[in-house]
Amino acid sequence: MHLSDKLLLRVEKPGRYVGGEINAVIKDRENKTRFGFCFPDVYEVGMSHLGLQMLYFFINRRDDVWCERAFMPWPDMAAVLRETNTPLYALESGDGLKELDILGFTLQYEMCYTNVLAMLELSGMALRSAQRDENDPIVCAGGPCATNPEPMAEFIDFFYIGDGEATLDAVLDAYRDHKSRGGTKTDFLKVIAGIDGIYVPAFYDAAYNHDGTIADFGSNSPEIKNRVKRAFLPQLEYFPDRFLVPLVEAVHNRVTMELARGCVRGCRFCQAGFIYRPIRERGVDHLVTQAKTLLEATGHEEVSLLALSACDHSGFGELVDKLLAVTEPMKVSLSLPSTRLDAAFLSAVEKTQRVRKSSITVAPEAGSQRMRDTINKNLTEGDILAGVTQAFDAGFNKIKLYFMAGLPGETEEDVTAIGALAETIVDVYYKMPYEKRKKPVSVSVSTACFVPKAFTPFQWVAQAAPDSFESQQREVKASIRKKQITYRYHDAKTAYIEGVLARGDRRVGAAIEAAYLAGATFDGWSEHFNYDIWLAAFEAAGVNPDFHTRRGRGEHEILPWDFIDMGVSKRFLRNEYEKAMRGESTPDCRTRCAGCGIEGGACHV
Amino acid sequence: MFKVRIRFSKDGALRFIGHLDFLRVFQQALRRSELPVAYSQGFNPHIQLSFALPLPLGMASANDYADLTLKESVNMENAKKLLQNQAPLGLTIKKMWETEGRNAASITAAADYELKCDESEMPSIREAAKNLLAANVYMIPKKTKGGIKDTDIRPDIMSIETSGNTAVMRLAAGSGRFLNPLTAAAILLGRETAACEIIRLELYEKIGEAFVPI
Repeated sequence: MHLSDKLLLRVEKPGRYVGGEINAVIKDRENKTRFGFCFPDVYEVGMSHLGLQMLYFFINRRDDVWCERAFMPWPDMAAVLRETNTPLYALESGDGLKELDILGFTLQYEMCYTNVLAMLELSGMALRSAQRDENDPIVCAGGPCATNPEPMAEFIDFFYIGDGEATLDAVLDAYRDHKSRGGTKTDFLKVIAGIDGIYVPAFYDAAYNHDGTIADFGSNSPEIKNRVKRAFLPQLEYFPDRFLVPLVEAVHNRVTMELARGCVRGCRFCQAGFIYRPIRERGVDHLVTQAKTLLEATGHEEVSLLALSACDHSGFGELVDKLLAVTEPMKVSLSLPSTRLDAAFLSAVEKTQRVRKSSITVAPEAGSQRMRDTINKNLTEGDILAGVTQAFDAGFNKIKLYFMAGLPGETEEDVTAIGALAETIVDVYYKMPYEKRKKPVSVSVSTACFVPKAFTPFQWVAQAAPDSFESQQREVKASIRKKQITYRYHDAKTAYIEGVLARGDRRVGAAIEAAYLAGATFDGWSEHFNYDIWLAAFEAAGVNPDFHTRRGRGEHEILPWDFIDMGVSKRFLRNEYEKAMRGESTPDCRTRCAGCGIEGGACHV
Repeated sequence: MFKVRIRFSKDGALRFIGHLDFLRVFQQALRRSELPVAYSQGFNPHIQLSFALPLPLGMASANDYADLTLKESVNMENAKKLLQNQAPLGLTIKKMWETEGRNAASITAAADYELKCDESEMPSIREAAKNLLAANVYMIPKKTKGGIKDTDIRPDIMSIETSGNTAVMRLAAGSGRFLNPLTAAAILLGRETAACEIIRLELYEKIGEAFVPI
């Protein structure tokens, strides 16, 4: 049952917990595999996530499965659930999550890990897989963070690594057969362990060297494969014809179209740029038809385009024109993700903002050319200034600049170059003739703390220490003198914890558990993040956080995620790392195949 | 342009969303319905829709009103069906009609609220209602801009009728005088109550001395 009316009125935004959204799928409970899609963050964030919308309808297209949703309750609601002994429930049926067959968590960012544990506990389940019994649902997890599943390995029965649509049906078929045949969880897990993308941690063991590095990692049973190959979808086909429309305002209330999965660029810091290779585009006409269908099914007033680099879609210009022909008569606005300030993008922005000029976002990622070459951004200062000039000329007067601090090999000059670039951009504005700059210019600079991720060329590098991030932030601040520039930065301590969770091994799980038990949840929310809890948790679990973040890894070290075949070869990543250290760039896949190892170079990008 | 009034009821999950969320949900339903709705001018065109009176979080309403502008005249029975087909669970479109009068929000003067009570509470409620209605002045501390001030709420109570195990209160409501139904209910019950135990039955316009449903 959903919570009683009176209890709902005790919490903030009770609309998060009542279901009843437009297009929510209600099915008969009989003869169904009950799947709970669990998003370990607050409702408004989860409901804005395209992956949730896609998988919800993808799974529900099957008659034999009912996919429902659950989100991490806000602390006030979590307290009410605990106090009233109400288990966390699925929004569609109101049934406790424990009554379902499979719970699937999406791991979008590392700082939601404690929320996964909280949702398990609020459902009345043990945190560790080994402590759950045959009556508990099977707990699985997927999403980008599943590419290094090890820190969460103790809590998750199986991971799904790769494209959701690729082999999820095979898993659900196997579950249906398992349910009708009967048998233990282990029997089922053994069956699916043979499917691409499926990793069952219990079937794998790690051994460690004296220095703490991994000595050996592999399956503990001859019938289980040693390497896990990602689930891969050669062509994107499925796209839902409906979206759930929440009753309470989400972070984004719009139709999001996935233009492509994968990216041709190969920026060396970007995990998505490697794990989703090769680029797979959706066709222009398919996207336009689908956008119209979705607008009619939702009543949304905005369409946004999602891709790692939207204007790299080979039909981008045509797509924008055709979409505008659909959206304008419907009084729908089209929003473009800001990626590269090139001509195609600016012309599209011009068309979509015929009336009002808002801000434009540029991500140089690094202030100096040397650093941009290191990270393979393939963007010169000339490109940036030309783009900005064009944007100013078109009437924009607000520019947002995104940078990363703590990149490998970064020096003080590289850091102060961030402020210098912002100041140059202000100068560009004031060089325009007076009639063209009636409004004051505003440039906002923000720096994120660089956290090296698995399956990137920087997977071997040491992450910068929190105090060095903080001193970099002071340097950037000091390098900005003009009053038209505002500066914001990400929290260095959060980045330190994120770093441990991103590249940690199986032993880190004990620290996540300890942090959760000491009260950590919503670690991605600055008002809830508690650094001291985490430091104490590492201490208690015997985990040295510096070992996982501050340490450079040797070329031959076994990395915790090495057993996963993500498509790109380790040799390619190492080669890219070495090029980065030499400051050499690699052209994009369309200009020249970089030999990343995907499909033996036959990806036809 | 054609001004249309919509009479609807609201229950279920929709009780737990705020006024602005409900406005957006209603506008989305209108967009899906493909009715010829009129949009405002400007950078962000939006559907011209307004409600008679916001409903407190948790409360259901049996007869609620919204005003909408259409670009062309359409068959109202058909329009009602089109909108109902797109309405979220808990929203029932009861009637739509063209109107030329003032906005529902500006004419609303009173509302009926039904209180579901426990059988055992009824004698004390009847007693409290009798005393309240017999008084000429009824002062309670009320939050105002200048802090908490004693205010006479007696003029805001039009009637209280009890029957079976319900009490129906007619209270001042709208942009002029307004009495919070939870305040009035607490006086009758002698205890705090929750919005989910009250249903707003009807909204009224004052014509002469008479209260007429809008």
